[in-house]
Amino acid sequence: MASPDLLALAVTLKMAALTTVILLLIGTPLAWFLAKMTSRFKVIIEAIVALPLVLPPTVLGFYLLIAFSPQHLPGKIWQQATGQQLAFSFSAIVIGSVLYSLPFVVQPLQKAFEQLGDSLLEAGSMLGAGPIDRFFTIVLPLTKTSFITAASLGFAHTVGEFGVILMIGGNIPGETRVLSIALFDHVEAFDYAKAHVLAISLLVGSMILLGCVYLLNLPRRITRKTS
Amino acid sequence: MTILSLNINLRYKTFDLKINQALDLTGITGVFGRSGSGKSTLLRAIAGLEKKITGSIVFHEKILIDTTQNLCVKPEKRNISLVFQDSRLFGHLTVRDNLKYAAKRCVNSQLNFADILTLTELDDLADASVNDLSSGQKQRVALARALLTEPKLLLLDEPLSALDQVSKTKLLNLIVKIQQQLKLPILYVSHSVDELQQVCDSMLILSQGKVINYGNIHHTIHQLNFISNSLPSEHLIHQQTSLSLPITNTDNGQGLMVLALVEQEILLPRLPGEFTHNQQLRCFILASDISICLSEPQNSTIVNHLSGTINAIESSSIDESTHSVLVTVVCSGQEFFVHISTYSQLKLALCINKPVYLQFKAGAVRTYLY
Repeated sequence: MASPDLLALAVTLKMAALTTVILLLIGTPLAWFLAKMTSRFKVIIEAIVALPLVLPPTVLGFYLLIAFSPQHLPGKIWQQATGQQLAFSFSAIVIGSVLYSLPFVVQPLQKAFEQLGDSLLEAGSMLGAGPIDRFFTIVLPLTKTSFITAASLGFAHTVGEFGVILMIGGNIPGETRVLSIALFDHVEAFDYAKAHVLAISLLVGSMILLGCVYLLNLPRRITRKTS
Repeated sequence: MTILSLNINLRYKTFDLKINQALDLTGITGVFGRSGSGKSTLLRAIAGLEKKITGSIVFHEKILIDTTQNLCVKPEKRNISLVFQDSRLFGHLTVRDNLKYAAKRCVNSQLNFADILTLTELDDLADASVNDLSSGQKQRVALARALLTEPKLLLLDEPLSALDQVSKTKLLNLIVKIQQQLKLPILYVSHSVDELQQVCDSMLILSQGKVINYGNIHHTIHQLNFISNSLPSEHLIHQQTSLSLPITNTDNGQGLMVLALVEQEILLPRLPGEFTHNQQLRCFILASDISICLSEPQNSTIVNHLSGTINAIESSSIDESTHSVLVTVVCSGQEFFVHISTYSQLKLALCINKPVYLQFKAGAVRTYLY
């Protein structure tokens, strides 16, 4: 792999790792809130969270680009706080990735929390465990595989992102040039050999990651079948 | 004396739970009612798991909830433990770790972990996965886990409902043993009056979310006889005489155990297990198992004959077509309830204050535990 591509790989991994961490931090309470919510507004929030699944990435990217520009409030606040422009920055592609991969993390977690129900949490409270204690000692161990699934899907989806990043990050080497954009550049330049290396690396990487996720869920699915 | 004052309201799907009652929680207090009468909801309200209740609950002079003052102690801070019908053990932990979960969170721990393990007969199962346990074993773990939180009040929500008869007997004995050893007030919910009759000191009866009776266990069961008589469609209980009598002879040499009823005796088949002289035995006799004679039967295979006087004759006020009456006969100060047909009542000209003899077989004296 050529050094600009290695730089793109480093940016991609850094972006995906940071995005996954942020997604878990934001997605977990959001999924919990949705799982426990009984109000009719639940469907509206669920639809908003699921929107990136159907929305063309360029549409999301377009609106984010406008929002991140210094002329608009989010971009203006960012610039005042950091002294740097938000659009076409690494931070912009991380924010964009968080929004774009949100359903891949929230949905598996919400489903897991709904399946877990309240009964074991009530049992925990009867044993003197407070809400945070119950989350770390009951919820987390029992939904561990869903957390791994959510993190893996969020990570893999972020790695493969193209449209949103192109719209809000552009193609700045070492800053916003990620693997999928580097691949697009090679194809545009008819450098198919380099494109192949990147494409096959992304393909194999994604396969391995998904394989691990399914392998992790395998014992549970088999147990369910036999029981 | 541990007092639990309840003044609560809860609008429920099918009825309104409305309870205003002070309970003296000495020993084991039973909560009895048909399915959907509000028994489990009441326990959940005391435990703090029912969020929508209004009113107040005061336990041992400590306010657990008072909605007029916007005061509500969180379930985990109430020092009350609830054993659920479905055990609710943590599947990702072993038996030992489930128990340690409770022990670790207990402030001012006094109980010895190993002692509780032995008391609940879980020594051999400590390292087993909870997913490999039988229903009875799971409930023993749930009980041990609740005890290790060292609660001031233990709530049991139909803990025996999923168990077979052998496991039920074992767990009931265990509950009695725990109560006696730890002197822990227990509120025990069940829809089986037989279970409650064996272990409870007092009983609260709920119907459609309201208290219809509360008091001494034998007295409330006897009150249920009349409620069942006037409301046969409710099918509350089999009408019965509930007794707690001292054992005077554990085996009379003929395979019978002898109980003292002041100067009279009641015989029943010898029970398995260890019994001591003068130990109180809980037993009951169904009203349909007793018959009435005007003179003492001399030549009968029926071994129990008690002399007494008719105290009341109650006919079913709703369903006249049953042609039956519930006769209350007092023998040596103890009320007995006899279910007879109006035909027999007329034939023997039974009336209040008439001296009679009751007769019933030894096998009609039943105990749920043995």
